[in-house]
Amino acid sequence: MGEKVTFAVAAIGALGFGAGVVFFKDAFRAAVSLIGALLAVALLFIALLAPFAAAVQVIVYAGAIVVMFLFVIAYLGERGEITSFDRLDRWQVVGWLGVLGLGGLGAVAVLASDFGPDSPAPATTGVGSPQAIGEAMLANHIVALQAIAVIMLIATVGAVILAKSAVQGEGGR
Amino acid sequence: MNVPIEAYLMLSLGLLVLGLIGVMRRRNPLMLLLSVELMLNAGNVSLIGFSRLWDDPSGQVFALVVMVVAAAEVVIGLGLVVAIFRSRSNLDVDELSSMKG
Repeated sequence: MGEKVTFAVAAIGALGFGAGVVFFKDAFRAAVSLIGALLAVALLFIALLAPFAAAVQVIVYAGAIVVMFLFVIAYLGERGEITSFDRLDRWQVVGWLGVLGLGGLGAVAVLASDFGPDSPAPATTGVGSPQAIGEAMLANHIVALQAIAVIMLIATVGAVILAKSAVQGEGGR
Repeated sequence: MNVPIEAYLMLSLGLLVLGLIGVMRRRNPLMLLLSVELMLNAGNVSLIGFSRLWDDPSGQVFALVVMVVAAAEVVIGLGLVVAIFRSRSNLDVDELSSMKG
């Protein structure tokens, strides 16, 4: 019962705020709407007995990533969207057909799949605890751990280089 | 598991399609990045749902990797947006054709 209520609230929140991200004209409102969607997804993670992932979701996504978005939106200020012409003109129909096709394909794939017996997961075995995740990461997925370390390093260096060239473009050092 | 895994997967699919619609509709690169974040989150919902279904932490490790990749992608994406658009007056990805062959 509790899981159903949590799922219903989180599902409505995620889809509602997600629609806000897609349909708000104002960039600031879309970014704030993204916070709502991310928090709803964190609630879903809690319903799926993954508290550590939910905490990371709130800290990394809602805490760090969206704040970066808000900084950049505030920094660049209000810019008009000029929609005088569209390069995609004729191909836009193909794109929308692709969106519809992918959605339909996903729905068919989910509905046609057999996920085994009705309630496969037993009462939790603590699979979402930080300890279990840490053990899995260090014992079985050490390459993934090192790969994300390298990705973080590359992103940091890239951000510094991009910011440096942007400052030089304005005459700074 | 009271709520069937199909419900989580359908919700994940709905979020993914919302993100796709956003990528199709938006011309502003900032909004494109926001929509991509939504799609990455849809993927995470699926991964953690499967982790719960099979009682295996690997899915959650994968979801954490996706979060790190999303953070790195946003850092580089926003750096590019700032570098390109501080000198331009309008934000429109269709205007950027200087690398066209």
